Amino acid sequence: MEPVEPAGRNELVNRLSLWRRSEPRLLAGVAGGIADRVGVPAVYVRAGFVTLTTVWGIGILLYLLIWWLTLDHQATPVVRELETGQRVGLGVIFVALLWLLVASGFVPDPFATFVTAAISFGVASVLDRSESGGIARLIMPGETQGVSVFRFIAGVVLLMVGLGLFFGTNRVTSSLGSTFIAVALTAIGLMVAFGPWFVRMRDDLGKERLARARQEERAEMAAHLHDSVLQTLALIQRTDDPRRMSSLARTQERELRTWLFGKAPLEEGELLSTALAAAAARVEDERAATIDLVTVGDARLDSRGSALVAAATEAMVNAVTHSGSDRVSVYLEVGEGRAEVWITDQGNGFDRAQVAGDRKGLAESIEKRIARQGGTAAISSRPGEGTEVHLVLPGVEPVTK
Amino acid sequence: MIKLYLVDDHRLFLAGVRSELEDRAEIVGTATDVDEAIEGIRETSPQVVLIDVHMPGGGGVAVIRAIAETNPEVRFLALSVSDEAEDVIAMIRSGARGYVTKTIAADELAEAIERVQAGDAVFSPRLAGFVLDAFSGGQAIELDHDLDQLTAREKEVLRLIARGFAYKQVASRLNLSVKTVESHVSAVLRKLQLSNRHELARWASDRRIV
Repeated sequence: MEPVEPAGRNELVNRLSLWRRSEPRLLAGVAGGIADRVGVPAVYVRAGFVTLTTVWGIGILLYLLIWWLTLDHQATPVVRELETGQRVGLGVIFVALLWLLVASGFVPDPFATFVTAAISFGVASVLDRSESGGIARLIMPGETQGVSVFRFIAGVVLLMVGLGLFFGTNRVTSSLGSTFIAVALTAIGLMVAFGPWFVRMRDDLGKERLARARQEERAEMAAHLHDSVLQTLALIQRTDDPRRMSSLARTQERELRTWLFGKAPLEEGELLSTALAAAAARVEDERAATIDLVTVGDARLDSRGSALVAAATEAMVNAVTHSGSDRVSVYLEVGEGRAEVWITDQGNGFDRAQVAGDRKGLAESIEKRIARQGGTAAISSRPGEGTEVHLVLPGVEPVTK
Repeated sequence: MIKLYLVDDHRLFLAGVRSELEDRAEIVGTATDVDEAIEGIRETSPQVVLIDVHMPGGGGVAVIRAIAETNPEVRFLALSVSDEAEDVIAMIRSGARGYVTKTIAADELAEAIERVQAGDAVFSPRLAGFVLDAFSGGQAIELDHDLDQLTAREKEVLRLIARGFAYKQVASRLNLSVKTVESHVSAVLRKLQLSNRHELARWASDRRIV
């Protein structure tokens, strides 16, 4: 990424390419900005500010000064880090400066400054969760695992020294029981030492669990696709009949849609339209035909509705088997207290007076089936013009969707 | 030959339609997403656009509305596997002159494209069913408003289309001329686009197409 030039208030700050970090930040992003520029985790910079604060509050003043001189950096922090050598130099300058201040007698309480430095850098070192950054990288470059361990141990040692010195002087201990202090110290030490490790372990566990859930989901999908889509594709490859092929494809499409979009399987439909759709789908599958179903209005499926569907199914099968056409249109309309179904094909048609006995029987069975429910069936056909079966079932209450 | 433009985000399907229609229309371009389609259509100014309902970036509706502003003479025929009435009605209300399902045979598709180019409406059985459903039952905002009602003749025509008959067959069954059937269907299309019926208004507002 091209580094974005910050527009600071001041030429010097501009030349230093320094800005305040927008996210993540603790206060105003000053420490974060410096950390990005120098190439160390922000915790160390913060430790530096804390240490300097013990010298007449310089830390706070410096913080405010830099805050005033710099601007917020809106974009993603651009890491234009210093070279390792520069970084070491900066660290040496920082230590040397402190030394100078102490030597010149400027520091009011060198002991407090030293203890604060030990504690704050110790805490920073333990809190630093970056695998490759930080002070430790200067000493052990490359080995991230070693760096991590080293940084951790160094942090704990610094902490112990700092805390030991702090409590070792008799300034505080005189007023508190030494046993209590020992216990508290141990507890704090343990928390500081193992807290980050525990948090990290918990995070890793969560990630692992999520990954496993995803994997299981993927496995389930793979199993389903294998059982359905892949099998169908294999079947299609082995089929020469284009009608059978398209029928297989349509069935598969229907199944996949149901599975993907969670629509209730058609077979369990409790509505007249879904029952008819299921019946049409079965005929399509078994007879390798295409059935165009259109429905207007709907009704709850009861035994009479089931009879209507059964009669319509027979008519569909009849059309597919005898008409010579592989396309059948089915139209269901529910309204005005009745349900009507038209089954239309554009096939050969027939003359009712001249058809063979078995076909007449089929037609009659459709009529009888629907008549038992108080409905009527009308079959109209002329040779060469296709056939239409019209079923009417009165006494059907429409439902609103 | 009719200058045709194809829009569909499934390249495989696009290729299929292209090979089916190559001899019957001059295919001036294809696109697989909304922006590409708008740009391509403005550049090639086809007579008819065959357009998919569902597409990334706003769907067919977005294309139709954008083109209507700059090239109102371009006519749209919606083509989809969608079974959702809302989607189909939304396409019609934003200006498509017809809707056919993707299972349509090549001959019928070619005929539908010619019909749309001539300024007529193309109703597949499914669209006819949707319209009958939308205009039956429920309440019209104003019952005496022409736009919110289908005439008895229009209903008859739509029923026959829903039952799977071609315009010619509808005409012969009702003892009408094909032209009359076409004008009935076009009248229904106009009502579909302009009606304020509750059902249509709801679909429209759900889809922000008003």
